[in-house]
Amino acid sequence: MISSQPTGIQTDAPAAGPLVEPSTTPYLERPHGPVGRSERRIDGVEKVTGAALYGADLFFNRADLFATIVRSEIPHGHLLSVDSTAALKIDGVLAVYTAKNMPPGATNRQGLIHRDHPVLVEDKILYRGDAIALVVARTERASREGRRAVKAEYEKLPVVGDMDDALAEDAPRLHPNGNIMGGKRIRKGDVDAALAASDVVVSETFQTQTVDHAFLDIEAGIAYWRDGLLTIHASGQWAHEERRLVALALGLPIESVRIITPATGGAFGGREDLGLQVYLGLAALKHPGKTIAMRYSREESMRARHKRHALRIHYTVGAKSDGTLTAAKITVYSDEGAYASTGPAVLRKAASHSTGPYRVPNVYVDVYGVYTNNNPTGAMRGFGACQMAIAYEGMMERLAERLGMDRIELRRRNLIRSGDAVTTGQIIPLATGVECMDAALRQFRSKPMPPAPSAPHMKRGWSLSVICFGLGYGDGFPDASRATVRFTPAGRLEVATGGVEYGQGLLNMAGQIAAEELGVPMSLVDVVWADTGRTQESGSSSATRQTYFTGNAVKIAASELREQVLDIASKLLHVHPHELDMRDARVVGRFDASLVKPLDEVLQAGRERGHSLEATGIFKPRTVCEDYETGQSPRSFITYLFASHLAQVLVDTETGEVRIERYIACHDVGKAINPQSVAGQMIGGATQGIGMALMEEVVNVDGVMRNPNFTDYILPSFRDIPIIETVILENDDPGGPFGARGVGEPPLIAATPAVLAAIANAIGVQPHTTPCTPQRVWELLHPEEAAVPHEARFGLAPEHARMGR
Amino acid sequence: MSETQVPQVRVTCTVNGAAVDRDADLDRTLLDFLRDDLGLTGTKGSCLEGECGSCTVILDGAAVNSCLVLAAQTQGCKVETIEGLANGDKLHVLQDKFLASGAAQCGYCTPGLIMAAKVLLDADPNPNEQVFFEGMEGNICRCTGYAAICEAIRSAAKEWK
Repeated sequence: MISSQPTGIQTDAPAAGPLVEPSTTPYLERPHGPVGRSERRIDGVEKVTGAALYGADLFFNRADLFATIVRSEIPHGHLLSVDSTAALKIDGVLAVYTAKNMPPGATNRQGLIHRDHPVLVEDKILYRGDAIALVVARTERASREGRRAVKAEYEKLPVVGDMDDALAEDAPRLHPNGNIMGGKRIRKGDVDAALAASDVVVSETFQTQTVDHAFLDIEAGIAYWRDGLLTIHASGQWAHEERRLVALALGLPIESVRIITPATGGAFGGREDLGLQVYLGLAALKHPGKTIAMRYSREESMRARHKRHALRIHYTVGAKSDGTLTAAKITVYSDEGAYASTGPAVLRKAASHSTGPYRVPNVYVDVYGVYTNNNPTGAMRGFGACQMAIAYEGMMERLAERLGMDRIELRRRNLIRSGDAVTTGQIIPLATGVECMDAALRQFRSKPMPPAPSAPHMKRGWSLSVICFGLGYGDGFPDASRATVRFTPAGRLEVATGGVEYGQGLLNMAGQIAAEELGVPMSLVDVVWADTGRTQESGSSSATRQTYFTGNAVKIAASELREQVLDIASKLLHVHPHELDMRDARVVGRFDASLVKPLDEVLQAGRERGHSLEATGIFKPRTVCEDYETGQSPRSFITYLFASHLAQVLVDTETGEVRIERYIACHDVGKAINPQSVAGQMIGGATQGIGMALMEEVVNVDGVMRNPNFTDYILPSFRDIPIIETVILENDDPGGPFGARGVGEPPLIAATPAVLAAIANAIGVQPHTTPCTPQRVWELLHPEEAAVPHEARFGLAPEHARMGR
Repeated sequence: MSETQVPQVRVTCTVNGAAVDRDADLDRTLLDFLRDDLGLTGTKGSCLEGECGSCTVILDGAAVNSCLVLAAQTQGCKVETIEGLANGDKLHVLQDKFLASGAAQCGYCTPGLIMAAKVLLDADPNPNEQVFFEGMEGNICRCTGYAAICEAIRSAAKEWK
């Protein structure tokens, strides 16, 4: 167990009771190189000196022309005409392009799952961010003036502002198949019979909010069309997929597009859908030889981009009087916004994570995606699983209250153990939810509770969450990662991966694994990444998958290269290659310390003998699609992660303000390839989860986002976040590189429910709507004076949502 | 109004010790002037309305949001940006501590944070919590959380000269 905090003296601790010891299983091949060490970031120096070049940093001395997008001013309607006469009269404006000007063969469509989202609107406008024209000008100023001067004529249609509007009988049809995008179900056991036989039944309706990714590095980039190649420098999360999508939208062969990802300032799922790449590409095709530059303002970034799904979750759970869970019946409606984006996958993940890390023998889940005229909703860290964690952890708190049972003991009784199955029926060989929970509690007990607040209106409370998360795309979706590792003529170790580094530490993960395997110091390692011209496809940097997938691909490639090097060395040293090892940039004898050859000499000999000194690895594990009728699958996800967060809060019951006094994050990551980087992900993710719990909320009114800026969209700041105490557990995953699993999303998923439960513990009322702003907390405390959003929560409620209340 | 009609202003200031004397659009922000006219792209724009601190530079010793300052307002002023901090290959102590503490992940907020921290520690190398927060709370970090950043600034403070 690694703890970033010195454990204090044992004191009279809260939550007494025996705790399970963490059962760290040492990896057989114990690393002796950089794996497991907090090596400095490979891209660190350029980031702290300002030398790193992000999208907008490429404009200087490069940009010839500037492009801007004209976006719809209405959320729903028909585009009748676009008049660019006035725009074209502006000095410097060169052209205005509409859907009619798309190149021959262009599909004019984007979308990661369904190609339903027009690049430039042909007729139907479905949200206020829809692009209707592209202005190209000699200066950025002229391009903006041109955008203002473009006149669009619309026929307005009634706005479908929320899910209730969309499901009303006379609702306008947003898509040809209606307003239901799709659904997902789970059918396991006999839920109605199990609920009827339960000693207690508890129901609740949760409403989660729309969240913006709010990465700081606004969308920006450059592109040029030269010698039959369209090169686009812009940040995304999956360079090879962006290449496919751009090629498809613009009618180009895939080989004619090259995506080069610049330094990227955060993504969190917000760069999974295409952003400005395709518009940059269109402008570049129209102006051959010229370098086109383009960037969004913060407002455009927030108005145009997809968001996190707001979910309405009707949850009913049954239990025996001893706390054993018997059944869960769950109906979820999800605001999909205007287009599908990655919504179908988010729905599936919400269903498969609907009962979290708990044993529930009878499960009945229906999830529906509902189109509206809001921003499309798609990928964001947590991807459906974080909203469901708010619900299942909220239900554990309510059930404990109803049963008069300790909430820790209730969880302990129901948490899956190694060999148990999750909702989808998948057996989890190594389930460490209990270990995580008890490690968090141990950390909590290491410091005394502060004295009770003297002011009677200040209420303190604490609680925790336990979550599990299946990493990778899973669910039968093809998922592979490739990596190439080579020794360069200069004797450096170069690792090439298609994965995107946006801050999470991918470069060090890949570099440290290769360096470990090949026994070279990190000072000799370079990582080439996310350039479709220089790297092979490694899948997206999302789904908490890069450590497991690309880490494995790098390890496979590096061990292949290692065999090559040891083969060469064995001829120089006249021993069998199995008797040799690579360490500290040398080839050494495993059993005979006198056998030593500097790596340089071995590599030189290899070059002379015509060895490539290069190897490629591919990691392509299979998952099994969840059954259409039952949602069951023996292997929906390649592996599962467990985590537990604990929050202690102080609530001002007069104002509803919540202050987090203490926060503990415990994650089982398998093996921390770079512990500092892992802790950084835990802290950063928890910070976003706290933001989701307390303040972040996109406010949409009749299809108009009311807070598309950082003045009104509130992000956690220095004062909002306490020192987050991190506890890393390392239960090796036998299939992960050096036992590693990953870390990315679970820190966010575990954070929000922990904070909500702590608030409930403080004020004695269970929150049901996020974020818990001061107003909402106050309303929980004064229900008689508050306009409870009852209709919103129960308007569409199925019958089971009113059971057991 | 079209591009050719933008009134120009002569901007005379020093940036990282070097004299600058050139025309700029009258409505050019210091942020855009540094980045797009001088090519000093280390200073980042993000919210573009003074909420996030990514564009923090030092103007005559004070930390300012360069998105809210016009280039024309810097006449005779001393401007310091992230590019002026390191001494050749030798990193400034704040840069070194940000690296060592893992305080830079995506790195986009980093230049602004470092400049804000420099002003904070120049004024008070041993800030109490209140002074620390007042100095730093204008800067938002979206991906690293704040623990590593606080640690980096605290450990730089110990070596502050």
